[in-house]
Amino acid sequence: MIPSGIAGATELLGLARGAFHDDADALAVLDELDARLAGPLRIAVAGMVKAGKSTLLNAIIGEEIAPTDAGECTRIVTWYRFGHTPRITLYPLTGEPKGLPVTRVDGRLVFTLGEVRPEEVERLVVDWPAASLRDLTLIDTPGIASLSQEVSARSTAFLLPEDSPAAADAVIYLMRHLHASDVRFLESFKDTAAGQSGTVNALAVLSRADEIGAGRIDSLISAAVIAERYSKDQNLRPLALGVVPVAGLLAQSSRTMRQSDVEALQLLASMDRNSRERLMLSVDRFIRSDGPGQLDPETKSSLVSRFGLFGIRLGVALIRGGTNNPTDLAHELARRSGLGQLLDTVEHLFQTRAEALKARAAVVGVEALVRGAPKERAAPVEAALERLQAGAHEFRELKLLADLRTGGVGLGPSASAEAERLVGGRGSSPALRLGLARDADDRLISETARDSLQRWRLAAENPLTEPRAVEACRVVMRSCEGMMAPTAAVR
Amino acid sequence: MAETVRMTTLVEQGIAVVGERNDLRRRLENTLERLRDPSVRVIVVGEFKQGKSQLINAMVNAPVCPVDDDIATTVPTVVRQGDPASAVVLVPRHGGSVTESDGGPEAPVERQSIGLDELADYVSEKGNPGNARNIVAAEVSLPRKLLAGGLTMVDSPGVGGLGSSHTLTTLTALPSAHAMVFVSDASQEYTEPEIRFLHQALRISPNVLCVLSKTDLYPSWRQIADLDKGHLEAVAPGIPLFPVSSELRLQAARLQDTELNDESGFPALISHLRTNIVGEAARLQRRSVAHDVLSVTEHLRLALQSELGALENPEGTPHMIAGLKAAKEDADALRKRSARWQITLNDGIGDLIADMEYDLKDRLRRIQREAETAIDQGDPGPAWEQFTSWLEQSTAAAVSDTFVWTNERAQWLARQVAVHFSEDEVALPTLQVSDTGGVLDPVADIQQMEDGRMGAVQKILIGMRGSYGGVLMFGLLTGLFGLALINPLSVGAGLMLGRKAYREEQEARLKRRQAEAKMLVRKQVDDVVFQVGKQLKDRLRMVQRATRDHFTDIAEEHHRSLTESVAAAQKAAATYAVERDMRIKEIRNQLRVVDALSSGARQLLDRSPDPQPTPSTVPAG
Repeated sequence: MIPSGIAGATELLGLARGAFHDDADALAVLDELDARLAGPLRIAVAGMVKAGKSTLLNAIIGEEIAPTDAGECTRIVTWYRFGHTPRITLYPLTGEPKGLPVTRVDGRLVFTLGEVRPEEVERLVVDWPAASLRDLTLIDTPGIASLSQEVSARSTAFLLPEDSPAAADAVIYLMRHLHASDVRFLESFKDTAAGQSGTVNALAVLSRADEIGAGRIDSLISAAVIAERYSKDQNLRPLALGVVPVAGLLAQSSRTMRQSDVEALQLLASMDRNSRERLMLSVDRFIRSDGPGQLDPETKSSLVSRFGLFGIRLGVALIRGGTNNPTDLAHELARRSGLGQLLDTVEHLFQTRAEALKARAAVVGVEALVRGAPKERAAPVEAALERLQAGAHEFRELKLLADLRTGGVGLGPSASAEAERLVGGRGSSPALRLGLARDADDRLISETARDSLQRWRLAAENPLTEPRAVEACRVVMRSCEGMMAPTAAVR
Repeated sequence: MAETVRMTTLVEQGIAVVGERNDLRRRLENTLERLRDPSVRVIVVGEFKQGKSQLINAMVNAPVCPVDDDIATTVPTVVRQGDPASAVVLVPRHGGSVTESDGGPEAPVERQSIGLDELADYVSEKGNPGNARNIVAAEVSLPRKLLAGGLTMVDSPGVGGLGSSHTLTTLTALPSAHAMVFVSDASQEYTEPEIRFLHQALRISPNVLCVLSKTDLYPSWRQIADLDKGHLEAVAPGIPLFPVSSELRLQAARLQDTELNDESGFPALISHLRTNIVGEAARLQRRSVAHDVLSVTEHLRLALQSELGALENPEGTPHMIAGLKAAKEDADALRKRSARWQITLNDGIGDLIADMEYDLKDRLRRIQREAETAIDQGDPGPAWEQFTSWLEQSTAAAVSDTFVWTNERAQWLARQVAVHFSEDEVALPTLQVSDTGGVLDPVADIQQMEDGRMGAVQKILIGMRGSYGGVLMFGLLTGLFGLALINPLSVGAGLMLGRKAYREEQEARLKRRQAEAKMLVRKQVDDVVFQVGKQLKDRLRMVQRATRDHFTDIAEEHHRSLTESVAAAQKAAATYAVERDMRIKEIRNQLRVVDALSSGARQLLDRSPDPQPTPSTVPAG
């Protein structure tokens, strides 16, 4: 029996450690891979310049720590990971890592690089005591298509390394509209990250979704329609698992909402509709005009820069609709910003298969190591590698998923969609795979899985089914069996 | 408007006076032709979803261009003056394809009248997804004071999207535009693709102004505007930036609120368009009309005055005839192939063709090498599709570079020829040419480029503009928009192929595939060199012909005027006294008409102050 994903990868790393026991460089690589297997999933946040990467990252973390600005801001690849005490470490391209002082202005971190120039820095690592970072390491990257070529190049080099496994297990790709350069980037990311086991591990986010509808109150509905269209776009389908609209600014601010914000929104809500609409014709007017009440221009300016006109309109509408409790208001705003949906999707698509994704990173790492090694040393590791890749069901699922999304395997459209769901294309938990409600009980899961298994077995035995499709059927059957197994044991 | 009428009358009077001089008549008829189409085309470009259509709507205060949260515009829409308001769409006639090889402005199109409210069904992504109706363009006419000066706004589909058909349609319109409005919203500073686009566009249309849209939505638009100004300064000095809010302008119109209108930023933009773009175009128009008429009057006066001189002062006649003959010989020399300007032109074109061929081959050879290296490193099979699109784009970029470069060089050459022609040009002897301003001020005129004398360059430009066909069009378009916007990561061919695994593939089959792939690449590059080389060569030959014809015409005019003057003077010497007095009276009358014409033209000229001459630029390479 071949051990599955993470166990198999650990075993593989052990084997490689034996084979390369006298090679210090190789051991260092293996240590890094070990740490990666043990650590939380690494998700990179990427996108064109000013797509709102840092803002979204803050929203996910739940604190405004990553610096953001109206101009281009993030210039260095920055890791945010869990740590009990706040700490910032700078890893230069050459030389020893060094600690940086943790300074915050308005809550946001300020990276004082000292004498080091940004182009000499490989990355910054921020350890931060935020609960949301416990099982997720987030990586902020500089924007693609930046005006300063080196900044873009830095992101490209990090996300699309030439000769090593990508440092991120998955990527959340932010776009404002689908530009050709977005597609180009995702294509490249798929090519590198996937390596030979080929899979789709990017999630596209339609960021700044509130601006799509020019800040109108129905902006997100309209953004959802567009996201839906993009998710069906044949250029994007093979590259991203889904498209989620998120109003990043609102998401960030609602998670860090202050009492003063709520008071200001309540004052606005108490105005009569016409004068409020006149006030909100433009941000300039909003800040400049008098009132309502004692609101001074500074407060209003901060309010509009943190929430945007859309956030204010939505907040006012919610308050007028009766949501007066600050906590409820913050929750509702966060939910409507699309952040909840994004976090759910990340959970379904990436977290539940974190093991497979991490194991794959290890496999790709070992593969790169073996490729450059002498034959007699590499041979046993290579054999184990081959076995793991061919045998581990998780990898075969990932591969089938990629095949299904990239061009199909000779199944009909409805069968393809079902296969995609069953191998975990919409989320990896059994209920999601079987298309059941999230709280379905074990018996229902087991029964549905058995039905599916039966259907797919018939399909596999049908002499008219193409060989390629039969192969796919087998993988799907194995997935169904996997879902039955734990529930059977319970019984 | 009134001025156009005045100019038209002046030119028509001129045509009435020229009589049998067909060459002069032809010249004035051309002038009239230009006067009849006063439109100043301003094309609005930018990446998609920047608020281009809304900008035009706000400007004319009517929802003429459909606006949507999703990508809206698929077809360029022309908005111009017209009463009553109406709309037409241009569709290719049956059997005629406009986009492909046979392209060009003469491609058969049909005008279909549609209702204003139906427009969205034709030009928007929703009503006409992917331009399935195959519409070339839409035209909307509106009665608006703003548009009365001939200002024509062209709404273009956004560039940078996935549908390359959008970018194709956008660029075809760009070269013929008088000015370009580049729209980018206030959500962020310029991105690299945008700046790259600006750089390229400046080479085609020098009149660029930038608009920062949606200032109502973004609190930090002032900061963005400052950043953008910095970027623009780096691209080229003096590009103006106008922050505007279309929403506020539309609201202002609804509420009749002038304060709101001022706040929208539109007054500044509109006044710039009026004075700097439309005003400038009108000024150039006036200058060139004045020049045409003036030069015609000089020619007419020459014959009349020679005859008059001979009649009034018979003893001086032989001397005058000798002078005229000498001038005529000089004018003849200009017509000969050995004239300096002819030599400059012929040599220049020869060099240019050789350089162009070398340039094209060199660029393509580099692409071929890169492709072959990439093929050697991996298996071309699995990534062939991506690979071919990479190849297409790189060749397209190379072709467009060659094209733009050739275009610049050709213009420069035409200017050079003009300089040589003017230097050797014979001053018409008996005339007081010195007070006719621009006629003998060739260098300044040439730098202005739009002057009557520079008709050649205009013709060349028009010729080149009108012929983006086939490969060339594709090349230029994707080169400018496609590559600039598609490829910011500069994903090389190597990355595309090298990533694909090929270990399982058997060595022999792989080798064969690689060889096949290389052969295909070579064939493709050969085809491109052949086709594009031919097209560019034809283009340059056309430049040569246009330039030669233009200057030969001028030389012919000189020749004919001088010949007629000599004949008139000789005839006068043999005239009887009685007839002489009659003839003098007649000539005096005719001269008065000519003088009235020329003073009319001079008035026109006086009212347009001479602009600061800009130094002529010589393209690199």
